[in-house]
Amino acid sequence: MNRLTFWRLLPFAVLVVFTAPLLIVLSSLIGDYSENWSHLFQFVLFDYVSSSLVLVIGVSILVLIIGTVTAWTVTSYNFVGKNIFEWALILPLSIPPYILAYTFTGLFDHYGDANNLARLLLNLQNSTAIFPNVRNIYGAIIVFSFTLYPYVYLVSRSAFINQSKSMKESARMLGLNQFQVFYKLALPLIRPAVIGGLMLVIMETLSDFGAVDHFAVQTFTTGIFRTWYGLYDIQTAMQLASLLLLTVGVFYIVERSSRGSGIYTSNNSTFSPSKEDSLVGYKALTAFLICFIPIFIGFILPIIELILWAYEVNLEFFNQKFISSSFNTLSLSLVTGMICAGLALLINFSIRYKPSAFVQRFSSLLSIGYAVPGLILAVGMVQLLVYIDALVLSGLDIVVTGSLIGLVLAYVIKTYALANSSIESGYERVSSSLDDSSKLLGSSGWSMLSSIHVPLLKTSILTSVLLVMSDVVKELPATLILRPFNFETLAVSTYIYASEERMLQAAAPAIAIVLIGLIPIVFLSKMIRSSRPTH
Amino acid sequence: MSNLILEIKDLYHSYSEHALSIENINLEIGSGDRVSILGPSGCGKSTLLRLIAGLEKPDQGEIRINDIKVSDNKNLIPPEKRNIGLVVQEKALFPHLSVFENICFGIKKNKDKDLIASELLNLLKINNLKNKYPHEISGGEQQRVALARSLAPKPNFLMLDEPFSALDEDLKETLYKDISQVFSDMSCAILLVTHDRNEAEIMTNKQIRMEEGKFL
Repeated sequence: MNRLTFWRLLPFAVLVVFTAPLLIVLSSLIGDYSENWSHLFQFVLFDYVSSSLVLVIGVSILVLIIGTVTAWTVTSYNFVGKNIFEWALILPLSIPPYILAYTFTGLFDHYGDANNLARLLLNLQNSTAIFPNVRNIYGAIIVFSFTLYPYVYLVSRSAFINQSKSMKESARMLGLNQFQVFYKLALPLIRPAVIGGLMLVIMETLSDFGAVDHFAVQTFTTGIFRTWYGLYDIQTAMQLASLLLLTVGVFYIVERSSRGSGIYTSNNSTFSPSKEDSLVGYKALTAFLICFIPIFIGFILPIIELILWAYEVNLEFFNQKFISSSFNTLSLSLVTGMICAGLALLINFSIRYKPSAFVQRFSSLLSIGYAVPGLILAVGMVQLLVYIDALVLSGLDIVVTGSLIGLVLAYVIKTYALANSSIESGYERVSSSLDDSSKLLGSSGWSMLSSIHVPLLKTSILTSVLLVMSDVVKELPATLILRPFNFETLAVSTYIYASEERMLQAAAPAIAIVLIGLIPIVFLSKMIRSSRPTH
Repeated sequence: MSNLILEIKDLYHSYSEHALSIENINLEIGSGDRVSILGPSGCGKSTLLRLIAGLEKPDQGEIRINDIKVSDNKNLIPPEKRNIGLVVQEKALFPHLSVFENICFGIKKNKDKDLIASELLNLLKINNLKNKYPHEISGGEQQRVALARSLAPKPNFLMLDEPFSALDEDLKETLYKDISQVFSDMSCAILLVTHDRNEAEIMTNKQIRMEEGKFL
């Protein structure tokens, strides 16, 4: 194969590998339907659909309110703590929903820490509970809303910043008060951006397994898991997964089409950034509370609970099991990060080196994995590995089913989009005239990649490795299904302890996950601080 | 005319149906010739240089460099195998390499690379910049480095695409003088693209006007 063909074929070859598990899942729709279908249809399918729907609607409403109101508050007003809130509002992103769910039950169960504290302070009897039970769909809605609202906050803040001061001033002159400027003018203008953020929230909500499982809410993901591990019916599990995949696919298309289209901003030469109004007194306090409460519920409260649990077991958690699952997690995430960064580098290079509109459009499909629930990916991957073992490796002494290969491949498919976004934006800053000069000076292909692009992109490459690592550390359902026997990661340890209600033991791996999850938050908060408009 | 370095026959090229095209371009440049193409922005001058450099493929016509057919509508010899130099307005210096490393980039495998680079540093009066990085030097100095880098592989044909347009007038005058001297010393053929008649007259012996993709 000559090098031209290699660079042209590379994106297609990767696309085939990335979409194979998904196509396998979807192909189940045209296969046989077992008798379990009538059972599912009669007894549980309606529950799966209705619970998922209620969850999505509830979470959407709450994240829209929290995300847009907090973004409006930090971009329009100046008050005590505003500079901290601007970046601290994304901290809940570092906590996966299932960890927030575990801490919520630890706090708000009848004998949870919050109820115990309330009884102690108010001198109440043990039978009295101040805080309501959270192990239900409403608890799940709160958990998802307070971990996922930063998706809406981030896009809203960036869109509000791009709104011109003169536009808002004109609205005020035309008789709108501050609140009306927000909901009649500013909010409709950022609608396309908010829809994009909201779609991400919906996809994450539909993908979750850990939180809904802990709260015993019957959704599609728990249904797929039970059909597979309870009824041992992988075909029906794949058919259920196909329905979920098609639903997620709709949200994915809406999210992609909302990117960059119809975002009404005033980035022209007459643009003047909005100037914040300074708040004092009760108005400043209100603004403070609007921003503080989401951070308190989504980050501070669970962190306090986790630290309390860790404190209660003293240093016992620092045992052989914790060390081995930390090692497993870090090595898996590092390998995945390096593969994703390497692939993203090669594919972006191939698109740049041999530009083709067709390949460019096709390559955007490579990022589809981020929208696919880890559980579905795992279901498809298991089937793919079984086919490979049966058709390709039969007769050889190699079995890939149940090995780490499938797990790493699933991680790579799921997190490739993160690595790609970092490397793609890095490439946008490398002038194409450098490529021309390099070619004319005798350096093209691999030589140009290694001597020009890699040194110039090293920060982007490092960022992409870290972003992927922090996401892999949190991934639960795919790890749970695809891991080799007795192989534990931090996420799996947390899940196992929590499902056995051994919350104190769950604290250490959960804290480790949150700490690693803070890595991308540091990058994001840096970007947020540097994106402040200058007056 | 001396030995032909560049020969273009009936060249046609367009980016799309609606974009401006290069139409029926014929050109011959001999060894040591200094030719400029004068024309307004967007008339196709830079596209012509990119076609000659091999950074674009022509729709029709033929380009020969040193009597070797390098482009037609079927074949394209890649830029790195054409042994020609190109200096562009934005200089395109590699930001992670020092001035010396930039100059040596195209002659990495040449055992005399240090000597060649030192000669060019002297010739272009930038010896004091040897260990500096592109962001640490001025626009005029960057242009001298870009020229030195293009001359290092000793091409017998050098193309310059509006190399001085981003520089102020005083600096241009000094560079015209110094660089003309370098060209005379190195005796390589030059094809300069510019919209500045004065620059074309100082730097080259022959001027060709171009408008809307055609030579006038």
